[in-house]
Amino acid sequence: MLWRAPLLIWQILFFVVPLFFLVYLSFWVVKNYRMTPALDPVNWIKMLSRDYFWSAYGLTLTMATVAALLVSLLAFPAAYTLAFKVSARVRQLAVFVLIIPFFTSYLVRIYAWQTLLAENGVINAFFSLLNLGPFTMLNTPIGTMVGYIALTLPLVVILQTISLANIDRSLVEAAHNLGCGKLRTILTVIIPLAKNGIIIGMVFCFILSFGDFVSPYYLGGSKPPTLSILIIDTTKAGQQWPKAAVVAITMIVTLFIVAIAAVAAAYKRPGTR
Amino acid sequence: MISFKSILLRCYVVLVFAVVFAPIIASFVFSFNSDRFPTVPLGSFTTHWYQQVISDSEFWEAFRNSAITAICTAIVATIIGFSAAYTDYRYQFFGKSVYLALGLLPPTIPLVIFGLAMLAWLSRLGMSGQSYSVFLAHVVMCTPFAMAIIRLRLSQMDESLEAAAWNLGASHWSALRHVVLPFVRPAIISALCLTAAVSFDEFAVAWFVSGLNKTVPVVVLEILQGQVDPRINAIGTFVFLTSMTLVVISQVFLLTRTTKS
Amino acid sequence: MPETQVEFENVSRHFGDFVAVDNIDFAIDRGEFIALMGPSGCGKTTTLRMLAGLDKPTSGIIRLSGTVMNDLGPQQRDTPMVWQSLALFPFLDVLGNVEFGLKMRGVAADERKKRALEWIERLGLGEFVKRQVTQLSGGQRQRVALARALVTEPEILLLDEPLSALDAHLVVRMQGELKRLQAELGITFFYVTHSQSEAFAMADRVIIMNEGRIAQIGAPREIYRTPANRFIAQFVGRNNIINGTVSSIAGNMATFTTPIGNFEAACPSVQPAERSEASFVVSGDLMKISKMRPDTKNQVECTLISEEFVGSFVTLFLESADATEFKVEVQQRELEQLELTPGGTFWLSWESGHAYVLPENA
Repeated sequence: MLWRAPLLIWQILFFVVPLFFLVYLSFWVVKNYRMTPALDPVNWIKMLSRDYFWSAYGLTLTMATVAALLVSLLAFPAAYTLAFKVSARVRQLAVFVLIIPFFTSYLVRIYAWQTLLAENGVINAFFSLLNLGPFTMLNTPIGTMVGYIALTLPLVVILQTISLANIDRSLVEAAHNLGCGKLRTILTVIIPLAKNGIIIGMVFCFILSFGDFVSPYYLGGSKPPTLSILIIDTTKAGQQWPKAAVVAITMIVTLFIVAIAAVAAAYKRPGTR
Repeated sequence: MISFKSILLRCYVVLVFAVVFAPIIASFVFSFNSDRFPTVPLGSFTTHWYQQVISDSEFWEAFRNSAITAICTAIVATIIGFSAAYTDYRYQFFGKSVYLALGLLPPTIPLVIFGLAMLAWLSRLGMSGQSYSVFLAHVVMCTPFAMAIIRLRLSQMDESLEAAAWNLGASHWSALRHVVLPFVRPAIISALCLTAAVSFDEFAVAWFVSGLNKTVPVVVLEILQGQVDPRINAIGTFVFLTSMTLVVISQVFLLTRTTKS
Repeated sequence: MPETQVEFENVSRHFGDFVAVDNIDFAIDRGEFIALMGPSGCGKTTTLRMLAGLDKPTSGIIRLSGTVMNDLGPQQRDTPMVWQSLALFPFLDVLGNVEFGLKMRGVAADERKKRALEWIERLGLGEFVKRQVTQLSGGQRQRVALARALVTEPEILLLDEPLSALDAHLVVRMQGELKRLQAELGITFFYVTHSQSEAFAMADRVIIMNEGRIAQIGAPREIYRTPANRFIAQFVGRNNIINGTVSSIAGNMATFTTPIGNFEAACPSVQPAERSEASFVVSGDLMKISKMRPDTKNQVECTLISEEFVGSFVTLFLESADATEFKVEVQQRELEQLELTPGGTFWLSWESGHAYVLPENA
């Protein structure tokens, strides 16, 4: 019990209770810019009947889904190469190098992307050498997507590489031996075997993109807002915390459903449809 | 004979790494570049942005806050992480999976939501915007990392090692002190560095609860909200070096762990 | 009269519904070399752990030198153990490992160093004092484990399959060393193993456990020649078990009627009833094999199924007309006269005095 106590106390006091408090907070009422404890569904009714909430919800869901699929697709050839085409040493080194971005300030990276993506930035300078552009990338969904990719690509490559590298090589060789072509082997043998890692990668990408506010704000131009920007705007705009809480709770519920669905998909026994 | 396809695949890997590292390198290069709006070709070499940062008392104030928060977070998160990892290693009890979920779940909650929840809860307790507010939140976020690293090390420990110490007359406490702690020491150092690095970099939750006690990432966030300002690159390079030092130390200890024993 | 040192009185250990140790009862004298043997999961390690205080009996009493030990923690007894994994402390050098027990017992630094060095010398590790244990060979690590356990000069040493990680030739050498060490020290060794050869080579007495119970206690030879029941007969050695009906009993000699002939077997302990179903056992190394029908009482014709070579010995597997399996151990050089071909027929025979009636069909 002595050993259990520290984690229990801290995480209950500063993790579980705050989250439950958020639920309670969503039923408070704001009068004359003052929050008063109450059990009034008014915030929920107001928020869920607003078009801008639902368009933000739709936008966030779409962007995070696209990011999950796009990043998984972008990551796969790289993970495949790292898992099957290079030595174990190179693979370990690559995974280590891919961890580095997690310890560089995400904000600084996003700022760098701002300067890189700007109309007079480095990338457009390259395009102009090819007599193309300039393209407007900053403050568009493309900018947001670049931020999501910057945020999640390293993690997804790592997760996919690990799950691909753990595949029993003899199964792949058996498929080749039985006359299965390279591409067909990837589609019918390798991907099903690495399914869990790929799905977990997608889920992480989805969760991170869904909750991120930096990319849509500083690269996507914050208009139209995503749910996370909605939370920040609502929170920072005076005492509208209960409304922000409503948004936060719908986000958590969404993430919860997605995570459960993904885990169910990952651990569904093959053959049961 | 390497086929054309596999050369293509290797080039793709290089491209992925280029995309991942482009902003890190760009920020480093731009931090020495005289142009306010950097593009190619580059402007002239300058340490102007660094000088601006160094002479800025607000930055030093933020740095002090960040450093204190990171150190305290690292120590407390590692202690809690150790006790939780040891609990998982040694004991079976009803509700253990809930206990472990409690320990490992925080990283899956979006920062904005946890930030809002912390802001609301700490305000309620009158503890928001204090010098220790960010620390309270960062311990929640860092404990899972410490717990995972130490648990991994414990799983490499021969199950009989602790019992062997009791068998030789050691009490539970002295077995812990003379056997378990020396065994997990590399993981503890690794966890200290890693959690310090995570705390030192965290901006979202810190932004919500820090109030006037801004940390470095919060200052960066606020500069970012204003005009284009290459000081960010200078700060970024500085923060990057700090974090990387911590991460490298942490990795060195993680690696000695796998080669020895 | 030797003094009793360890007593287990109706000791049981349950893990939930699983009964690991089921009401066992035995005593060990001071200075004995006892081997506790049985198949994996028979409860032998649990028994050892209870003696060391690492596990508590669910019921029953354990005494050490007359004192009830049930409620004493492992720290409060002097029952050092040599572990199957050795459990050496990987972050300490040889000296650090060996002096650990003294340090925990509060022995002053110079004193414990002196005593530890004595044991390090005694076990031939003098040149490795400052070496990390991770850099030692298997045999050297074994010695460190022994020195670490013996440094407190205990009256009993517990050993949990200590040789299972060593190469075959090293095992035999360590067996000799352990036996000699035990004789020199004159203390009790309580040795848990699943290996028959280890148990029989070293122990004064062997305790055989099966499914949490004690199946037989006795000197190695006694167990080998007169197994107490069918389980031991099958577990120990290359025994052949033959089932039949007791047709008559004369003195301590029973005559069996079986589908493959009539045989005689000694019944030294318990006499079976006439007309009852019973079994007797003949050790594989006491059977003779010949091409021609021998001129003796106990004989049976068999077909050769297969052979297994172990060093200079060969084990032949044969089958009689009613599909009873026989195992026979023969010296390599005897084989040359036999012209072995799978499917060939041979005669097996043995002396009546080498066959023993199994006391029960457990």
